[in-house]
Amino acid sequence: MAYAYLFKYIIIGDTGVGKSCLLLQFTDKRFQPVHDLTIGVEFGARMITIDGKQIKLQIWDTAGQEAFRSITRSYYRGAAGALLVYDITRRDTFNHLTTWLEDARQHSNSNMVIMLIGNKSDLESRREVKKEEGEAFAREHGLVFMETSAKTAANVEEAFINTAKEIYEKIQEGVFDINNEANGIKIGPQHSTAGGASGAGGAGAGGLKRRGAAVCNEHWYETYSMPDL
Amino acid sequence: MDFFKSGLKTVLGAPEPGHQPTGAETVERLVDRVNNSTLLEDRRDACRALKAMSRTYRVEVGALCLDTLKQVLELDRADNETINYALDTINNIMSPTQFEEEEDNPRVPMNIGEQFTEMFIKDHNNIQLILDLLDEYDFRVRLSAVQLLTSLLTNRPKDIQEIILVKPMGVSKMMDLLGDTREVIRNETLLLLIKLTKGNANIQKIVAFENAFDRLFEIVSSEGYSDGGIIVEDCLLLMLNLLKNNSSNINFFKEGSYIQKMLPMFNTPPEGAEEEGWSPQKVSNVHCMLLIVRTLVSPSNSAQIISNCQKIMKKVGLLDALCNILMSSGVPADILTETINTVGECVRGDVANQEFLGNVMAPSNPPRACIVLLLMSMVNEKQPFSLRCAVLYCFECYLYHNETSQASLVQTLLPSSTEMSTLTSGQLLCGGLFSSDVLSNWFSSVALMHALIENPIQKEQLLRVLLATNIGSSPVSLLHQCTLLLQQTTKLKAKVGLLMLLCQWTSHCAAAVSAFLRAPGGVAWLVAQTCANEHDDNEFLLQGLSAFLLAICIHFNDDSVEQYSKDSLRQLLTKRIGMEMFTSKVSEVSKHELYNKASKHPQLRAKIAADVLIDYEFCRLFKVLESVLIQSLTTTHENGTGEPAAGRTSPESGNLEQYKSLIRQQDARLQELMSQVEGLLQQNQSLQGALNDSIASNSHLKDENTLLKAQVSASKTLPGPPAPSLTSQEDPRVKEYEGKIQGLLAEVTSLKEQLRVSQEGQKTAAEELEKVKKDQDDLLELLADQDMKLNEYKMRLTSLGQPVEDEPSEPPSETITPPVSLFPSAPTAPLVNMLPPDTGAPPINMAPPVNMFPSSNMPQHVTRAPQDQLNELV
Repeated sequence: MAYAYLFKYIIIGDTGVGKSCLLLQFTDKRFQPVHDLTIGVEFGARMITIDGKQIKLQIWDTAGQEAFRSITRSYYRGAAGALLVYDITRRDTFNHLTTWLEDARQHSNSNMVIMLIGNKSDLESRREVKKEEGEAFAREHGLVFMETSAKTAANVEEAFINTAKEIYEKIQEGVFDINNEANGIKIGPQHSTAGGASGAGGAGAGGLKRRGAAVCNEHWYETYSMPDL
Repeated sequence: MDFFKSGLKTVLGAPEPGHQPTGAETVERLVDRVNNSTLLEDRRDACRALKAMSRTYRVEVGALCLDTLKQVLELDRADNETINYALDTINNIMSPTQFEEEEDNPRVPMNIGEQFTEMFIKDHNNIQLILDLLDEYDFRVRLSAVQLLTSLLTNRPKDIQEIILVKPMGVSKMMDLLGDTREVIRNETLLLLIKLTKGNANIQKIVAFENAFDRLFEIVSSEGYSDGGIIVEDCLLLMLNLLKNNSSNINFFKEGSYIQKMLPMFNTPPEGAEEEGWSPQKVSNVHCMLLIVRTLVSPSNSAQIISNCQKIMKKVGLLDALCNILMSSGVPADILTETINTVGECVRGDVANQEFLGNVMAPSNPPRACIVLLLMSMVNEKQPFSLRCAVLYCFECYLYHNETSQASLVQTLLPSSTEMSTLTSGQLLCGGLFSSDVLSNWFSSVALMHALIENPIQKEQLLRVLLATNIGSSPVSLLHQCTLLLQQTTKLKAKVGLLMLLCQWTSHCAAAVSAFLRAPGGVAWLVAQTCANEHDDNEFLLQGLSAFLLAICIHFNDDSVEQYSKDSLRQLLTKRIGMEMFTSKVSEVSKHELYNKASKHPQLRAKIAADVLIDYEFCRLFKVLESVLIQSLTTTHENGTGEPAAGRTSPESGNLEQYKSLIRQQDARLQELMSQVEGLLQQNQSLQGALNDSIASNSHLKDENTLLKAQVSASKTLPGPPAPSLTSQEDPRVKEYEGKIQGLLAEVTSLKEQLRVSQEGQKTAAEELEKVKKDQDDLLELLADQDMKLNEYKMRLTSLGQPVEDEPSEPPSETITPPVSLFPSAPTAPLVNMLPPDTGAPPINMAPPVNMFPSSNMPQHVTRAPQDQLNELV
């Protein structure tokens, strides 16, 4: 239950590229072969660990259909990370990436981490988009790139976790304003005071205070999590 | 009115004497001024005047100046005051409520605000215009914009929702206003969001995505939870909107640990503080919070969500807190009612939670189970109606899909537990069943019925329940008593309740069917009811229920009651009513208005006692069984009542009949096999006896045999003649073989003898070898001695000055030369060379033993002849 940070993700991309399947594979570790059209937006969540810290991912899986495009735009602003997905067996989904990217850049906060994902890597025989092309596109637009398969689960964990790592690094670098929840990042309950103290600066007294708070909070966390077990 | 007039005067100047300008004229002049005036102040004044007129002359202002006002919003954004007037004017035009000023003006249609709204939103940019104004920090502008959006949403919720949904950041902007430090704006925004989220899942999701729950809980907690004001209620209403029928948001709520955050809401106040009572606002707040809990575990959600939420509620102590409210005093009745409903849904279908509820004890004296206390309220006429309904629902939830709680209820009625002096839930229900209060009858029947749902064991167990009636008369079974009551009561509710109980009881339970058929008057009453011809909705229902119960009695009949076997009942129906009439009567049940109401939701949603008639679970039973029963009745009817298994049209009843006949066949076969087993067992027994006899005689014969054998051997060792003569008589060949065997045996013996002799020979040879070896050793020793002596002498001779030559010394050592030649190194180190004889000697010394075998064979050949002769003699 307790987490250090909470990151909000969105998954975007054309219809049928496997966005919901990626989410299902990541949260439930299963694959659903039947395409069940997403209506609007669906929600999923999972806890991961980065750098020894518990991080909660809240993921909003958006509908790819054009009809829902205006609805999904409302989700860009509050997200810290986005998985932009295309289907390696359908060139048109790759061609639409530019539109998606423009949309995302226009409506999101500038620090949002975007991971480009070429999904369905298990269907090598039907491949229409070369891996190199995806890599080139990602390089050109400053995205992280990965090919995944929601069916075989190849790289699925990595895609979500690497995005989180990227966000985490940005937090460490001070790029994100973690106190503004509109950025899609929330500090966990046991870190909120620590976060405030760290914002006060690296003075010796501040450091001490922070440590004291951390100890106190650890205790609180333990007693808190007891009924959970 | 005077105020407005004086206001107009200042703007328009004094009217010309003798001419009173109409409202429309004035508005026209004002619009003109807004459009054409170059001075901002003039435009502002004109807008102020329009605002003032917009309440009295809504139609005129709306019709003439909507476009002008839009223009002001676009062009005069720099002047907040003007914008504010324009917004207020539009808001007045759009207002969904009727102004005082319009009350006696017949020209203003009722839905004037809605009509103007429709006009206004035709251009989607108008909404964008107002959304943009939300960014304005000025208090008045922001507030007016929020209020205008609220009005628009009130008038045309669906349209505005769709427009805002496609405006990027539309919802986000409104969410940002929740964080406005000016409480008025925050509170107005809450009202706006409540309207905005109503019934639109997509907007609900976006609002939730924008951290709505966090913000709302922050507000709720800062306002003091349930003790807070109406703002808390608004926050809760918004949460309720976000969660209602929105599984994605419920999932988010659950994953975001918001269930835990509801807990402080239900903290019961300390004992002393209760006297103050609950403020109406607190009642509303807690009521909303309970509704939120119920939304999470509502039976209309997916089973997985319900189960997850129920488990979390138990884990974080929410269920506990709710039960505490149940057990604490001073809780207003409607909160208590809603809490009972909520507790019910929190435990419904979750075994652990149901068990938890079953174990909750009330702090009463004597301590009683919470469930018992609840049931006491249910069968108590004096309790509020809604509370009694809630208890029934809660109890149904407690029994739902839980065989243990069903069994424990029936258990309290069984004879074994009668020694308990405390009041049990079973006793309460039985009391309710036969009380004079008709609602208690109904509630108790339905509660008992829920203990039997999908539970054939309890259906049979409940048959064992006996009731002590009048003193002196023998106890009567519960089912019997129910049947009796059914015939005696004149109250519709009691009849319907009992019929539903009996239907549930007898369905899928042949034992209950036959018990019912045995009860006096039961069938006759049902038939009479079914045949009745009254025309009234409730009468139709009663007829239908009776027909339904009759159909169950036929379908699940195992023919154990002779008088009312399947066929005889069927014939009775055909004769008295006719199948067609019968089936149409059955279908009457589902045509009743209250049936449709009840079948929609597990909870009984009756506002008044008259609405209580049919139970949800009974509807389910009816839906499942209706077609099966009718099909099984009508198809049999068409085929004549004789052979039930012949030519089925419906696969279902056909299958059923098929299985039945199969079972019957198997039964017969079983009987047959049983008798066979019986016969075989007897046979087995007799055979066992015979076997024992023969074993005895066999051992007897064996003894005899040994005796005879002994005699035979005895006679053989003695004179012998009788036995050989016997064998020779039997077969001459035997003798021949015997002779051969004897010969072979003799040969074996002779060979053994030979082996022994040769072994002996070997032994002696080995001994000889040993002797020879020893001799040789002695000789070698001697030789070495001699050698030493020789050397000594040689040395002595040399010391005496006598030259020593080899030749003269040769003659004495002549005899020892062969050993020297045998061991070339011997002359130099004879003692050391004592060992070599073991390794070097054998080739020579072994020769004699090798030769010993042929030599020892010789005597064997010699001894062989006499032995053969001997053997032949034997």
